[in-house]
Amino acid sequence: METKSRTLEITVLSAEDLRSDNKPVKKNAYVVVSVDPFNNKATKVDGEGGSYPSWNDKLVMEMPLQTRFVTLLVKCKGSRGEKTVGLARIPVMDFVGGYSPATCLQFLSYRLRDPKGLKNGIINVSLRVKEPLQDCSSQAAAAGGGNAATIGMGIPIDGRRDYGMVTGIPIWTGYPSNSLF
Amino acid sequence: MGGCVSGDLKGGKQAIGGVHGRSTMNNDAGYNEAIDHFFRVRDQSPLFTPIELSLSASNLRNLDILSKSDPMAVLYVKKMDGTLEELGRTEVILNCLNPTWIEKINVSYQFEIVQNLVFHVYDVDTKYYNMSVKALKLNEQDFLGEATCVLSEIVTKRNQSLTLNLHGKNGPGGSKNFGTLTVHAEESCLSRMAVEMKLRCSQLGNKDMFSKSDPFLRISRLTESGKYVPICKTDVINNNLNPVWRPLYLSMQQFGSKDNPLLIECFNFNSNGNHVLIGQLHKSVSELEKLHKERSGANLVFPTHRGQEKVLKGQLFVDQFIGKEQFSFLDYISSGFELNFMVAVDFTASNGTPRNQDSLHYIDPSGRLNSYQKAIIEAGEVIQFYDSDRRFPAWGFGGRYGGTLSHCFNLNGTNAYEVEGVQGIMAAYANALHTVTLAGPTLFGPVINTAAQLASQATSNDITKYFVLLIITDGVLTDIEETMDALVRASDLPLSILIVGVGNADFKQMEVLDADDGCRLESSTGRVATRDIVQFVPMREVHSGQISAVQALLEELPDQFLTYNRSRNIKPLHS
Repeated sequence: METKSRTLEITVLSAEDLRSDNKPVKKNAYVVVSVDPFNNKATKVDGEGGSYPSWNDKLVMEMPLQTRFVTLLVKCKGSRGEKTVGLARIPVMDFVGGYSPATCLQFLSYRLRDPKGLKNGIINVSLRVKEPLQDCSSQAAAAGGGNAATIGMGIPIDGRRDYGMVTGIPIWTGYPSNSLF
Repeated sequence: MGGCVSGDLKGGKQAIGGVHGRSTMNNDAGYNEAIDHFFRVRDQSPLFTPIELSLSASNLRNLDILSKSDPMAVLYVKKMDGTLEELGRTEVILNCLNPTWIEKINVSYQFEIVQNLVFHVYDVDTKYYNMSVKALKLNEQDFLGEATCVLSEIVTKRNQSLTLNLHGKNGPGGSKNFGTLTVHAEESCLSRMAVEMKLRCSQLGNKDMFSKSDPFLRISRLTESGKYVPICKTDVINNNLNPVWRPLYLSMQQFGSKDNPLLIECFNFNSNGNHVLIGQLHKSVSELEKLHKERSGANLVFPTHRGQEKVLKGQLFVDQFIGKEQFSFLDYISSGFELNFMVAVDFTASNGTPRNQDSLHYIDPSGRLNSYQKAIIEAGEVIQFYDSDRRFPAWGFGGRYGGTLSHCFNLNGTNAYEVEGVQGIMAAYANALHTVTLAGPTLFGPVINTAAQLASQATSNDITKYFVLLIITDGVLTDIEETMDALVRASDLPLSILIVGVGNADFKQMEVLDADDGCRLESSTGRVATRDIVQFVPMREVHSGQISAVQALLEELPDQFLTYNRSRNIKPLHS
């Protein structure tokens, strides 16, 4: 059976210096991750991080082989609806075929651009591609699969969550229906 | 009352000045980002590492006729000028040729320098038994033996113990057996303690006339001289009288001890730099922990001109207090982690022809080292102790090697890129000056990519290796954008890059690469460096007592190493 996709584990860690209409974002930032126009998932909303939100949300997504970019769309919920804060595109080449094997946990950061194309903060993620037969050394893999996502480059907030092994696709209510951009 | 009047007057001035009393948003944001990056990079940075040395000896010479020797050990550090400075003494153990001394000697471990230790063992005369060991005059005792080593040699051992042969005063090589001395190093567990705190204030006094305050906290430590030295500050929260700051990380080295008084000041941020004090309080870390457990607040106070304090309505709360023990740099090193040294030397024509005395590459027949040689020796002699095989990749760039211009050629001229030891680097460098024609231009990208390739192979095979690339250059980069791209791509690898500038060129580009101003490097495609892996210093003449340029570079290495390993939750190996 031919495989047309691979499993991407991406942890959206944190963002820095988010602004909306030239003012710092006050609260309720979240990120929509897309691997193609029809497949996306969102992080939870950070209600208290302001313009320096931390999510540490791990998302597992099936990424088609032909995907060239993983798109990160940062939005915030306000009293007058949702706003787009910034966009970053991660070239798949940055983590597949780069210095490290795609199966190793990698920490990447990208400049966000606002809807006008102006610089707007930085987003930090960690990610790896799951390929069961070609894993890294055991301790590095264990670090990647276990707790690394909860520490990462972001600053942890109250109530650390324990990310065990992935047992299924996360399901949540209130999935934003207008997240496509 | 006087304080109130002053405050009102200040407020009045602010109102008159209009925008001067308030920060601009951009200024705030830059300030916050710089602080954030500072915390990220300096997370729990120790100032130095206290080490306890335990000593024991075997098969000491017996100098007593009617009884055995009564040994005592004395520890010295050999200073730059060759003199010995005493660091401590053990107690005297009576009638014993195989003593295990109980008294531990405290030493401050500094990664960035070679710390040469000298141990002397004496047989203490019977008539001095009742004297304090500090009062003993060593020239009145019988000398039993001497041993020397570098502190790094002890702490890099798997069990942090090193056994040395004792020898006479004339040095090693004598036929007599003077016995052995075993040194065990242990890091004080206090040095690993760190605290994560989340601080919050409520009902702060408003210092802005037309908007709310932009508060931030500054925490200072009381030093032995009675002055307060700032140890950290929070980010600025805009327009908020009930701010919640992001968690702070403080290490024991920063605050001294859990009961050391800390001064916590709350300021209103002003972009002109004249921050206005909102209130302050004195609390130790223990007292902050108590506030957290009791979920109570402590009132801020405002100092008045009469030396009294006005109690304010504003309060400080500790929403989160986590005490934890972090693995230290030495925990990793003693469990088997290594630092692997790599060198890249600039062979561009701007250095001047090596035959000329004014060339930066001039090899002085008298043996005086040029700047390139000094940088290699100073860095290599420190890092070599952390590499078990001591085989170092050594490259040149910007020269014509075998007629071909190369921006990354092997310094030893063969297909193998590694040389043996620091002296191997020095020999390969001197030989290369005879076989390489200086050319140009100056590119860093190729050597950074080559080093990154080596480091990336390590992440796949062996998580215990961390790479340190020393680039020594005299000039201005031609490929600044390619260099930045290469650095950003390498920033997720176990690699640090130290850049030493020699000669008198303008090194502004280097200071851009060195992210000490808080700006994260950004590549041409918008990718941002995961962490700061670059340090730059210009080589300069070292005056007595001054820290050398290379030492300043090396000082940052343990932090960069820890940032990499902690962020990936990589732990020291189990024994």
